[in-house]
Amino acid sequence: MAALSEEVLLVVKRVRQRKQDGTLYLMAERIAWGPEGKDRFTVSHLYADIRCQKISPDGKAKIQLQLVLHTGESTTFHFANESSSLKDRDATKELLQQLLPKFKKKANKELEEKNRMLQEDPVLFQLYKDLVVSQVISAEEFWANRLNMSSVDHAVSNNRQEVGISAAFLADIRPQTDGCNGLRYNLTADIIESIFRTYPAVKQKYNENVPENLTEKEFWTRFFQSHYFHRDRISTGTQDIFSECAKQDEKGLKCMVVQGVKNPMVDLLSLEDKTLDEGYGSSTAQSTSSSKQSLKENSNSAIIKRFNHHSSMVLAAGLRKVDSVNDQASETSSTDGNSRDSDFFQPPIKKVKLQEAIEYDDLQKDCRPRMVALNLKKSDRYSHGPIPLQSQHYSTTQDIINSINFIQHEMASYKPCLTQVMSSSAASSAIAALSPGGILMLTGVQQTINQLVPNDVQGELKHLYSAAGELLRHFWSCFPVNTPFLEEKVVKMKSNLERFQVTKLRPFQEKIQRQYLSSNLTGHLEEMLQAAYNKFHAWQTRRMMKKT
Amino acid sequence: MASEDEISLLVIVLDVNPIWWGQQAQREDEFTLSKCMDAVMVMANAHLVMSRTNKLAIIASHCQESHFLYPSKHWKAGDSCGDDSSSAGGDGKYEVLSVANKLISEEIRSLMARTEVKGHQTDTLMAGSLAKALCCILFLLGQDVKSRILVIKAAEDCALQYMNFMNVIFAAQKQNVLIDACVLDSDSGLLQQACDITGGLYLKIPQRLALTQYLMWVFLPDVDQRSQLVLPPPVHVDYRAACFCHRTLIEIGYVCSVCLSRSSPFSKKKKLKPAT
Repeated sequence: MAALSEEVLLVVKRVRQRKQDGTLYLMAERIAWGPEGKDRFTVSHLYADIRCQKISPDGKAKIQLQLVLHTGESTTFHFANESSSLKDRDATKELLQQLLPKFKKKANKELEEKNRMLQEDPVLFQLYKDLVVSQVISAEEFWANRLNMSSVDHAVSNNRQEVGISAAFLADIRPQTDGCNGLRYNLTADIIESIFRTYPAVKQKYNENVPENLTEKEFWTRFFQSHYFHRDRISTGTQDIFSECAKQDEKGLKCMVVQGVKNPMVDLLSLEDKTLDEGYGSSTAQSTSSSKQSLKENSNSAIIKRFNHHSSMVLAAGLRKVDSVNDQASETSSTDGNSRDSDFFQPPIKKVKLQEAIEYDDLQKDCRPRMVALNLKKSDRYSHGPIPLQSQHYSTTQDIINSINFIQHEMASYKPCLTQVMSSSAASSAIAALSPGGILMLTGVQQTINQLVPNDVQGELKHLYSAAGELLRHFWSCFPVNTPFLEEKVVKMKSNLERFQVTKLRPFQEKIQRQYLSSNLTGHLEEMLQAAYNKFHAWQTRRMMKKT
Repeated sequence: MASEDEISLLVIVLDVNPIWWGQQAQREDEFTLSKCMDAVMVMANAHLVMSRTNKLAIIASHCQESHFLYPSKHWKAGDSCGDDSSSAGGDGKYEVLSVANKLISEEIRSLMARTEVKGHQTDTLMAGSLAKALCCILFLLGQDVKSRILVIKAAEDCALQYMNFMNVIFAAQKQNVLIDACVLDSDSGLLQQACDITGGLYLKIPQRLALTQYLMWVFLPDVDQRSQLVLPPPVHVDYRAACFCHRTLIEIGYVCSVCLSRSSPFSKKKKLKPAT
């Protein structure tokens, strides 16, 4: 079995597919299923082709796993081993869960790239329709040297942008009630990643406890039930695994306060909960009685603390990379502010920050450096028309005087004589010149080929040319033929060319013959194909000579 | 046919360059300026009688001025009436035509009579005349007017007028004014472009003596009627530009990104422009 040379990650026996018992194999790059007793796979899907997997709900009699492909097809596997069917299914699911995302990105990127190229380039799209849809060449051949996959991969790996965390990611989870006094949280990989990045303490706990002590599901259930998550509520759970986390966070926040924040608009120390309208902005009387500093205030400050911590962690997650650069920038900007605004009362950094927040570069008045005016030395050269400096005949002054005198003399005695403007012979020869076939009607003959041929035929001819050009490009790129792969390709391309000639070029030729277009429109195309055939035959005979 | 109320304005720009016409008369005395004037008058009369609402203007393009031959400043209503009754009224001719012909011949006579001999002014002021024609058209634009310009060109193009000429052409294109050209002597690149851009006809006539026939056959029908007729095919227009260095027409050249001057590939390295 050739497939056995692949790395097999998981083998599940007694899996039914279409009411047939068989074995399910999970390989490094694909999932496959073969019926019992046969040594070949009847079902085989590359992971890249799979869009998602679905499982039957717990408690159903049949334990199934469904794979939905990008094409819309789906395959259902029924785990039929009585004793361990649930375990088998979960093992498969877990493994697929780990494998699929890896391939998903790659497949989507490729598809997207191809889609984008086709959409952006109508010529390419036409070519694709002409060559691939009409099955002259296969899609792989078409894309083979169009997409430089390595470059795409490279770009993707380089450009993978570090995505920041939404500040509201926890609120966005939106638990659903399941109807019987419980809540369901749907966690995606993204959310989990966000939680880990924002709360490193939770990640640490996760690493410690999962999967040794708890399953993943239990872990998250506990997390959401925990005092840690609902810290603002009064809770009494003491043997909570997350209780430590809260302490760590406290420590982290303290550390942050000690470090201090550059931005003067942010005050991590003020934990008072006061609204602006209380006392209309004037300082409210300090609540003197200590008894009033009640539980409520405590919990309020806890919330504020927690919010501060949350916000700073969210920001820190986004800034982790550019930190070093940013530090320098803020340093310089603050010194800048110092030097410039020293005569103001406000702390300069604060002013700079305020300015940053309220001023926009693109709303500023233009104060670009003045342009330098273009000073042309000989501007008269621009006003010369497209008139070459030819041998313009110059007339002498005497000539000019003579001719002016002559014309003045002539026109002095001018009397219109409209009944004898021309002779009838002159008129008839002019009419002959202007009639179809006359001298004046012949001038456009060279250009008329595009008037003779109707537009749709012209369009078709253009498509044929681009398709033929593409095929010929593939063909000629095989030379010099020095690898077995190229040998195979050149033979294939030659047959492609022949197929193109039969399925595309011939019908077109017949069509223009039917329309009685005399001009030989496809002559050049045929010449190009013939040149390719000649080259191919020359190559083939030479190869035969070598072999014999 | 066009509706009755539609006004069709034809502006004829006639090249009356005295030097060219004088030399022409000396070379062959069959086709002279008076013959040409006759042909233009026939064309003008034909246009006027095509429809009651048709309007006409004729501009003589001299080398010293551009002058309206018709309608003219000297035309006073009382004048023409008096003339009609005395001289032209007798033969029962359509008054508009007789007045027009009389005015045109008077104006051209006086224009040629006041020609001075100036050695340095030999080029026809074609761009100026075209601009005048456009002004005349714009003056009437408030009404529902279909207008076109017919240039009857004798002398050669003037390179110095290039900019003005092109500006006029683009203005005409904006205003949907057709420019037709009937060329008597050597081909004019500028007029070819003008006709091509504005959608008019360009015709270099092989036989000057039959000028009337060409005018009546090709240039008398207006735009709507032209589509029904088999007319000479459009000429191939040479849009090549002349380079700054040798003044030769080039197909491929270099264009300076600062000053937009163009030079042929043969020229030596362009000197850097001081941009101050």
